[in-house]
Amino acid sequence: MSAPTELSPSLISTLPGHSYTDPVIFAEEQEKIFEARWFAAARSAEIDGTGAFRTVDVGRENVVLVRGRDGQLRAFLNVCRHRGARVCMEQSGVAKRNLQCGYHAWTYGLDGKLVAAPNLTKMPDIDRTEFGLVPVHLREWLGYAWVCVADEPPSFEETVIGAVAERLGGADVIDGWDIDNLVVGRRIRYEVTANWKLIIENFMECYHCATIHPELTEVLPEFADGYAAQYFVGHGAAFAEEAKGFTVDGSEGLTAIPGVDESHDRKYYAITVNPQVFINLVPDHVIFHRMYPVAADRTVVECDWLYLPEVVEGGKDLDRSVELFHRVNQQDFDACERCQLAATSKAYAEGGVLVPSEHHIGAFHTWVTEQLAQ
Amino acid sequence: MILVGRLDDIPLGEAVRIDGDVPVAVFNVDGRLFAIDDTCTHQDASLADGWLEGCMVECPLHASCFDLRTGMPSGPPARTPVRTHEVVVDDGLVYVRVTAAVGAGV
Repeated sequence: MSAPTELSPSLISTLPGHSYTDPVIFAEEQEKIFEARWFAAARSAEIDGTGAFRTVDVGRENVVLVRGRDGQLRAFLNVCRHRGARVCMEQSGVAKRNLQCGYHAWTYGLDGKLVAAPNLTKMPDIDRTEFGLVPVHLREWLGYAWVCVADEPPSFEETVIGAVAERLGGADVIDGWDIDNLVVGRRIRYEVTANWKLIIENFMECYHCATIHPELTEVLPEFADGYAAQYFVGHGAAFAEEAKGFTVDGSEGLTAIPGVDESHDRKYYAITVNPQVFINLVPDHVIFHRMYPVAADRTVVECDWLYLPEVVEGGKDLDRSVELFHRVNQQDFDACERCQLAATSKAYAEGGVLVPSEHHIGAFHTWVTEQLAQ
Repeated sequence: MILVGRLDDIPLGEAVRIDGDVPVAVFNVDGRLFAIDDTCTHQDASLADGWLEGCMVECPLHASCFDLRTGMPSGPPARTPVRTHEVVVDDGLVYVRVTAAVGAGV
């Protein structure tokens, strides 16, 4: 069995099957994509107070994000400059005074500078800044700490803010949701046995919506036609007339975010920021997904449901609100896992095809191919 | 007496280290000056790089605390006290009179 060599005009081809399974390609993607781009690592407000830290895998690196005595968040490679031991072993915590390596007690200030080490005063030639933790580029936007482990990061304005602006049809449109000041009402972590690209591809198209997302297509009837919000620029999918809110049963949602204007009311917007962030916008909340690729066939997705502070602090019932997209996530990730199962089949060796409502995924494949060619 | 430096060069809550046969650290605790041996008695680390809280300095390596007034460690891993030394301020200059005995007062 072989894939057609000449494709009908309706179809364009996907990446070949091994692109989703080959550990060598995955390592290349880690290096040339995840270690080269801006990566949403953590919700800034969750690294709260002096010495609070979080550690996150970014590509093949492990990064520690830590809040200093001056209130500033900083990021460093989580590697001792002495013999290379990992400095912070926990995923999160609060450093009492400093960040200290548990091997020989090389001790770094919250600003990364080498503060102390056994016999350090007998080695006055050691520059404490040069032998400090290696800094990682950090930007805070939409309430998240975005890091880039590359020496020279790409423009944040172009690659992150620009991706959002391109989808929404303007750089300041997203400001209406005031995402910086929303609060995490629920976080769900999904361990998905699928390649990260399958998850992005799935998120970009809605050809599958009528088949696997009954609840979503009830609330967003146009999704049954198969055209995702990501197919268009500045287009929001309108809520069904009978839907009171973006909830699993179409019941009333939570308090609407005041900055969302009338033209964005009762609509759903979806944005991909390559390579690992998806953002969904509805009038009363924001769903913010971060993907952490673990292996060629394994990806962790951490999904935050963000609401107005008064909604979360007031203990409002979020269940029906969260349940809608939680089901969508489960349905999507099940589908991605089905694809992963078949990615090694000779039936998929040359890949599959994209129908017209999926053709914009071709641009993602081109982007991936271009990154790997660099 | 050893000249440490100008009083203005030891800010509140900070310490300076004077190298010598036995390095000495001078701390400024809310305007009161204390001098002790700079090297932790547990492992070679500079107490001037430690964490100052009240009259206690915490070693940056293994968190043993030493009382600046007596030189006594508050607990393990350090077991041996550091020496304390007399501090003299004269005409804006700070001097330390290094004592021989361990545990001598300021």
